[in-house]
Amino acid sequence: MSTVQDRVQQLIADQLRQPLEKVTSDAHLIDDLDADSLDIVDLTIAIEEEFSTEENQLEIPEEDASEIRTVQQMLDYLAAQGVA
Amino acid sequence: MTERVVITGIGPVTPIGIGVETFWESLREGRSGVRRVPSLVDAGLKVQIAADIPEFEPNDFMDAKAARRMARFSQLAVAASQLAVADAGLELEDWDPERVATVVNTGGGGVTTIADQSAVLNDRGPGRVSALFVPMMAGNMASCQVSIQLGLRGPTITSLAACASSVYAFIDGRQLLLGGEAELALAGGTESNVSPLGIAGLANMHALSRRNDEPTRASRPFDRDRDGFVFGEGAVVCILETLEAARARGARIYAEVLGGGRTADAFHITAPDPQGEGAARAMRAALRNSQLEPEAIDYICAHGTGTALNDAIETRAIHDVFGEHAKRLAVSSPKSMTGHLMGAAGALSAAAAALALYHGVLPPTINHEHSDPECDLDYVPQRSRPAELRAALVNGFGFGGQNGVVALARLSE
Repeated sequence: MSTVQDRVQQLIADQLRQPLEKVTSDAHLIDDLDADSLDIVDLTIAIEEEFSTEENQLEIPEEDASEIRTVQQMLDYLAAQGVA
Repeated sequence: MTERVVITGIGPVTPIGIGVETFWESLREGRSGVRRVPSLVDAGLKVQIAADIPEFEPNDFMDAKAARRMARFSQLAVAASQLAVADAGLELEDWDPERVATVVNTGGGGVTTIADQSAVLNDRGPGRVSALFVPMMAGNMASCQVSIQLGLRGPTITSLAACASSVYAFIDGRQLLLGGEAELALAGGTESNVSPLGIAGLANMHALSRRNDEPTRASRPFDRDRDGFVFGEGAVVCILETLEAARARGARIYAEVLGGGRTADAFHITAPDPQGEGAARAMRAALRNSQLEPEAIDYICAHGTGTALNDAIETRAIHDVFGEHAKRLAVSSPKSMTGHLMGAAGALSAAAAALALYHGVLPPTINHEHSDPECDLDYVPQRSRPAELRAALVNGFGFGGQNGVVALARLSE
């Protein structure tokens, strides 16, 4: 079973079409992984879909999404939402 | 002042080949690109055949991230543009990018993207609709993505004229050069909506062949047993430049673009004028604007869709314009092989006609087995053949009654 971190890193690599090894915890979505605002919206949607369950729908409000700029911040955010 | 415009590069991404060599070989050999498409079979559609390009790999032409941000019709346009530039032997760095025009037209643009994201909206809610939805589906992205990917910064235009769209691109591209708005133009069309929504609407209109069990025999323009067209996808882009520029750089010249004609039927949203009046008037306008007598035309690359109405009416219009000469010239329809690429169909026909003039070979109308009293011309049935060709017309007639015809000629001094 892959960890949340593995799943998030893989998803970011897929969404942003970046090699997985570049998606380190401290990688910055814009500066290091070449994302723009459109990519970040679609990445947020992909994260919501990946971690939503029947009982627990994950919704990342826009104001929260705009604060998430690194892989680690995304992981911290998910942990705070109880995604494990 | 420039007076002459020529085609020096051809970039086809089609159901019968990617790249000009394969495309021409398939036209010459009379290969069909029609097949039973798994996604249409799975969707249980009445029409399960189409001419698609399963082997197209966007990453051969652009990086993965750029490809993800484009609908398939834009990916095809970018690929066709790159192939055209390479075929023309152009080094784009040698040109002022502000003087390069991009005219890539389309019929339906991103209809498939609209269908996909509508499903997301209905199934998963508005919060899940992609931020890329609008910039992916918009039809103008056909030209804009080419402009972005190739760094072309001159006039960038996408116009819609249904199945005549990319005939219009050659007329507009030529005008941009003659009017001094650009020194080089990419002209063509793109279409990619081989999907359940795209097919279902046309199928319910009874426009499409239902010959599901014989895909390669389904597209049969001008044949007695034709039962509709076969929907296709693809993009074809050509390089237009002035004769002077082409000669100065020693470019290979496929054909000259002499002039074009555009008319409207003002009759019906899908059916052509029963007398073919609008089509005939477009052919006459193309001849007049090209300063050609009808007898100068040796070949017509027909609209030739394979619907009962189109083929009979196009034949009637050719009789009307050419009189006795109609029986002497050759008419063929590449749609017999490629299916109907809608917004890319005119560019595909222009490319086929330019190659026919250049090589002195008439591409065939395959599946033409039985003559029809209403279709009584020389359609180059089944097999290509060598011919001395001076000039050709390329026909494109669209839903809505938009007609476009462009005249091409083998280059003469």
